[in-house]
Order: sequence, then structure tokens, then C-alpha cells
Amino acid sequence: MKTINLKGLEMNVYEEQLENGLNVYMIPYENKKNYFISYATYYGSDVVEFSPSAKETIKPPLGIAHFLEHKMFEQESGIDPFTFFSESGTDSNASTSFDSTQYICYGTKHFGNNLRYLLSFVNSPYYTDENVEKEKGIIAEELNMYEDMPDFKLDMGIRECVYKNHPRRIDIGGSVEEIYKITKEDLYHCYENFYVPNNMFVLIVGSFDKEEALRIIQDELGKKKKKTLPKITKVKEPIKVNEKELTMKATVEIPKVAIGLKVPTKDLELKDFELDLYLSMLSTILFGSSSAFKERVRESKIVNSIYTEWEKIEDFRTFYLTASTIDPDQFIKEVKKELSDHKVTEKDFNRIKKVWIASEVRMIDNIDATVSNMYDDIIKYHGIIPNKIDKIKAMKLKKLQDLIEKIDFTNISTVKMVQKKK
Amino acid sequence: MKYVSKDLGSFGLHLINSDKFKTITIRVLFHTPIKKEEITKRGVLADILLQSSKKYNSKRNLTIEAEELYAADISTNNQRMGNYIVTSFTLQVLRDCYTEEHNLEKSIEFLSDIIFQPDVENNAFKKERLDIVKYNTVVSISSLKEDATAYSLTRMAEAYDKESPISYRMTGYIEDLEKITESNLYETYQKMIESDYVDIYVVGNFDNKEMTSLIKKYFKLKKIKKRKPSYYLTTKKPRTRRLFAKETIDNTQSKLAIVCPLNKLTDYEKNYALLLGNIILGGGPDSKLFKEVREKNSLCYFIHSIYNKIDNVIVISAGIDKKNFQKTVDLISKNILDMKKGKFTDHDMDVAKEIYHTAREEIEESENRLIAEFIGESILGQEPMDERLKKIMKVNKRDIVRACKKISMDTVFLLEGVKDEND
Repeated sequence: MKTINLKGLEMNVYEEQLENGLNVYMIPYENKKNYFISYATYYGSDVVEFSPSAKETIKPPLGIAHFLEHKMFEQESGIDPFTFFSESGTDSNASTSFDSTQYICYGTKHFGNNLRYLLSFVNSPYYTDENVEKEKGIIAEELNMYEDMPDFKLDMGIRECVYKNHPRRIDIGGSVEEIYKITKEDLYHCYENFYVPNNMFVLIVGSFDKEEALRIIQDELGKKKKKTLPKITKVKEPIKVNEKELTMKATVEIPKVAIGLKVPTKDLELKDFELDLYLSMLSTILFGSSSAFKERVRESKIVNSIYTEWEKIEDFRTFYLTASTIDPDQFIKEVKKELSDHKVTEKDFNRIKKVWIASEVRMIDNIDATVSNMYDDIIKYHGIIPNKIDKIKAMKLKKLQDLIEKIDFTNISTVKMVQKKK
Repeated sequence: MKYVSKDLGSFGLHLINSDKFKTITIRVLFHTPIKKEEITKRGVLADILLQSSKKYNSKRNLTIEAEELYAADISTNNQRMGNYIVTSFTLQVLRDCYTEEHNLEKSIEFLSDIIFQPDVENNAFKKERLDIVKYNTVVSISSLKEDATAYSLTRMAEAYDKESPISYRMTGYIEDLEKITESNLYETYQKMIESDYVDIYVVGNFDNKEMTSLIKKYFKLKKIKKRKPSYYLTTKKPRTRRLFAKETIDNTQSKLAIVCPLNKLTDYEKNYALLLGNIILGGGPDSKLFKEVREKNSLCYFIHSIYNKIDNVIVISAGIDKKNFQKTVDLISKNILDMKKGKFTDHDMDVAKEIYHTAREEIEESENRLIAEFIGESILGQEPMDERLKKIMKVNKRDIVRACKKISMDTVFLLEGVKDEND
């Protein structure tokens, strides 16, 4: 077991790789009562087509990763995982994203039993024609629920504009039409190819004994065989955004705006975590809560809250900015202006560094925040970044300026969402 | 963890000592009996105080100062608690050992400035600030329908009893917003500072004596007040015939919202028996409603029941296809009836008790839950948490059945999704 010190946070991460390639990350806390376990696979809706061998290519209906996640809770034993966990007052859930699927449980009791059960139920798929059929109604209602959320539609709209071919332009859940085509065979194909130890990991945070945890994981997962991962069909995504502009209509009284900046990363010197750190610095200085931009649009009463996010996919980073505004055109103009000016000052740069360091310390205080932070690291960088505070401290304004030079700030898509005519 | 409560005359100081956190959390609560026509003003007031202060004359300067205090987090919230409206201001900041000496004190002073040194002149807030806040409020009010579930619950409450505080919209009302001026908002502010009940909760690792003197130094409230009306709502007698109400929305999914008032619960039923009854009925993914309506009949993706003991109701919410409306209502109705008939097992009860027990243990892991717990104990008259746990563990089937017999399905509201495909 490797011990990695999280520098500046007075905490350790214990890492282990089983012989079959499964990774284990454990962060035990001394002074907490609760724990959180995640068992996850690097398999999400980004996988649209794959080839287990040179001869065979599989293209299941869209939304299959999410469907599979729902169906994992069906057990041949007839025991409902929710019931099992509830018996010790433990909460459980699962979620599917573009690049991963995770099964979680969290509580304060029966750590060993719950860990063992979590691993074992995710290792025991049980799909029948009948139980697959039954799930379709439930998932259709889930998709309908999202369909009615304007923010969700806006998010899909901007993705379709930014990407031409990448699966990030498709809803994680697929569509009602697609999920009705799913069969138990489709589910087994995907399960057998992607729920394999060398494509999965376990993350545990909170109150638990690390030796006990590792023993149980060895016990439950050690015998699983390593498997060659299928070749995932890659799409070629053009450098330029797919569509410059789009207007959508929806049930909204206040219009919404989404802006996407597509940044190809091939020719950038900065890579991975460091690149993300600098990009995030750029967007925080330009659009963060203490930015001059934010003050300007607030004072002119066109926007109150702004949401920003960076997305990482192979060869690209995409910046999304969304807001509700009474004046979409003016707001888009303001954002474009801010992007083309892209002014960063030393003062702002240093202040944001200070904020980030403080946030790291605050994050580790909270188990939920730590879990989601570590999970993101594992998904994005295939491991935990142990010296984040040092890396933040070492950031140089010059590097940010050099990076800015290489970004084409005109490579953007804009989406306006306006009210349907009644 | 140690809890000490002090009555300082003009406010209650509640010190929750815990070594689990690297931060100190301070929440200042202003509470007063709720009046519908004042909700909008209270919301605007909380927002405007965070826009600027005497010392920091713009939101940007205010935010920069918070960042300089090692990302001190200041937020505000307006909430209804039974018959009361509660405006709260929360500061969360790292302890000095993670930042620098006096950073905590400076942060407390900063919070105090925001509350007590507002950006006003000639007994009025500034027009340009008020305009910004009014814009924000208009956006929130106009966006209500975007969260169809929340909207269905509001409309259901209005159909149930539009006189009751249950139906009040905490985002406010446009007609009241229009009446707000720079000077009448200042009057509301003064009234809040002078006559609201005030409680301050502090969570974290600190020395009680030092903290008390810090709070006394920066929170100088004068008037001594005695609490009068109860926080708990009394609901009117349930209808003899169930009320059905409906509204359409341009959506794919329909939302079902049901309110069940509780008829004359005893204190024991309110605090113990019904709490478990509701967990069994619709408290989580192991509950009757989840299993019957979602898992067995595939009628929805989400369904749950929420028990609000201050409001004296159970509220049930689900997202369904409109063609399944009757079937879903019948199933919910049947499951409530089963609770009344005692058609649940000892195992169901044990599970509910375990869920309660875990929730009890998790209180100490979160500052927010700790504050909520001690608000319950100090303001709402709850028994101490370990006392409650003991009593919960002793609740038997007969107790739960007796409490569930007092549930009546009163108002059933359907927010009917009628998708208009023509743009």
C-alpha cells in the first residue's frame, strides 16, 4: 500500500493496485463518524461504439450506460440493494456521467458489510427481458423530467453547437426512443466489456479501517480477471465550433444564454492538471464573483448569476458560461468583449491563488466535498493530485499570459433561449 | 461536541463546540411572525445588505474583501419556519491557525458591518442598489415555473389553504415588489434590527469565553424581547371530501402534489411516532411509495413524502405521466390506508429506526445540521437529540398506527404537462 501525503492538508491517501489492475484510493479520517464508498468504472455515455475484437464492433442504443446503472440494482437474489443498505440506515445511490458510472453508499454503520455488499452487487448483473422492460417506464419519466428543465435543454443546445461529432453533444440518458430499443443482450455486452477490474476503482473516504477495507476489496475483487479493454471508436472532432449561433424556444419568461469557447489543446505547452489550473484561473479572473465583468453586468441590470465550467475531453477544453438575462444580445456582446480583451492583472491573480489555497483546506474538512474532488481527479487524471496547494502556489502570471496568447477567443458558440410565443 | 446556550438579554448566543471542523461558522438569525405582504421586502432587504456596506461600497469590493479574508464565505437566506419568517446571515471562515492572526475577528467585524453598517444615506437605501435587487427578484419570481416540482407544491398549497402561511411564496410577489421604495425598505430594516428576535449560533473549535466577548463586541443589540406566538402551525380541520385541483403547463411530465394535514397529533406522535411512520411511507428508496409506485408499477422516477412537523402536514410529490394520474393517486391512497391498518412489518420499523439513528450520528458531521438541531432544541422546544433517539427506539407499531390514523389526504394537485410542440 502506497502512502501519499496530501501536502498542506494534514491528510494521507492510501493507494493500492490489485494484480488485476483495479485501483483503490482510501482517505481515512480520525475525527469523523461517517464514511463514503464509491465503486466506479471509467464507462459513461462517451462510449457510443466499441470493438471487443478486430472482427466485432458493437453500437448499442444511446443511453445504455445510464440504463445499465439503473439495472445494476436488480439482483437475482431478489434482495433490493436499497433495502440492504437501509437496514443499517445507510444511504445508497448511483450516477452516470459522460465519462464514468459510480455506485455509492454512505452512512455511519456496518462499514465492512456495506463495502462487501456494494462490491458484490455491482459484480452481479442480472438482466432479464422482463426486468429490462419494466425499467423503461421509469427511465422515460426520468428523461421527461430533464426534458422539462430549461437549463438542461440549454446545456444540450450549447453542446450541440460546440461539438460536431463528439458524444458530448448527446444526452447522457439517450432518448425515450433509443432506450425503448435496449435489450438484455445489449446490457450484458456493455457490462462484460467495461465493468472489468482494470477499468474500475474503489474510493473510500471517512471513518473506516484501511486494512480491513483492503482485505475486503481483495477478497471480493481480487479474483476478478483482468481483461483487454475493447477499442472505443473515436470520432474526429474539428478544431472549429460546429455552429456559431442558435436560438431555442422554451417555456421561460426570462431568456437564457449559453456561450461555449472551444480550445484545442494539442499545441499547448501546459498539460493535464496544470493546464486546467491555468484555464480555471483565466475564467475566474474574467468572470468570477469578484471580476470587473460581473460588476459591470450586475450594475447594468442585465444579469445577476453566472455559471461557468470547463470541460475536459481528449484534445480539447471547452469553457461554458450560462446565465438568465433580460437582454441576451447585450449580454452576449459583453461576454465577447471580455473574452477578446482578456485582461489579467497580478493583483487579481494573486488574490485568486489565496482563495484557492483556502478552499483546498476547507474542502478537506467536508467528506462530501472531498469525495467529489478526489473522484473528479481520478476520472480526469487517473489518480489523485497530492500537492495541489504547492502547484497553486507555484503558478506564474507569465505562464497564464503565454497561454492566453495561444487561445483563439473567437472560436465560440452562442445559444439564446427565448420564450415560446403563446 | 458541547453545546452551551446563553441568554444575553437582547439575543440568544448558542455555542456549539466541536473539534471536527477547520472552519468557524457563525449564523445570525432574525425572526419575526410572518406576514404575507412583508415577505418580498424581507427578501429584498437580505439581498441588498449583501450588495454593499458603508465601508465597501459595491458588491465587487465586498466580494474582494471576503476573498482577502481567506475566502470568508458570507451568505444570506430567507426562510419560513412555521408561523415565523427567519432572515439569516452566515459567515464561514477558516480558523486563524490556517490563515493568520486576527483573521477570524476581522471576519466577524466584516459580518457585523454588513448587518449593522448598511450602505444608506438620509434614512434610505440607495436607488441604484435597490434597482439591482429588484431586477434579481423579478428574475427569481419569473423563473418559478422552471422548477415544475417546486411550482406544483406551491400551487397545491395555495389550493389547500391560501390563508395559511404554508401557501406563502418565499420568492415574493411582484405586486409587493413594486411598492418597495428606498425609504420604506429602510424602515423594514430598522424594524428588523430593533424588534426581531435574534439568535446567534457559532460552530467550531474555539474558546467559549473568547468567542462570547468577540460576539458581544461586534453584535450590540439593545432591546430585550420576549417571544410570543408559537412557531408551530395549526392546520384547519381536514376537508370531508378530497379537493382535486389542476393546472396545465407546457411540459412533457406532469407533477403530482398532495398535502395531508395531520389531525390533532399528540406531542409524542408529532415528535416520534409519525416521524417513523413517514419514513416507512415515503421517506426514501426503501419506502412503501418508492417500491409500490416506482419499482412495482413503473409509474414515476421520483416519489417521496416529506413530514413537516412545524407545519403539521405530510406532503407527497411525484413526477408522472398524466395518463397515470388516477392510478398513482389510488396507489398512494392505498399505501396511506395500509399504514393506518398496520400493514407494515417489524422489519420496516427497524429499518426506519436505523435510518433515524444514522441521521442522528451524521448531525455532528455538518455545521448546518448542528445549527438546525440546536435551533430545534432552543427555539422549537425539541428534546435533546439523545433523549429523542432513546424515545424513537422505543416506538412500537401501535404508536405508529395511531399516529398514521390522523393523516388525511386533503388536497390533490396535478400540474398537468401538456406539451405544445408548435414553436
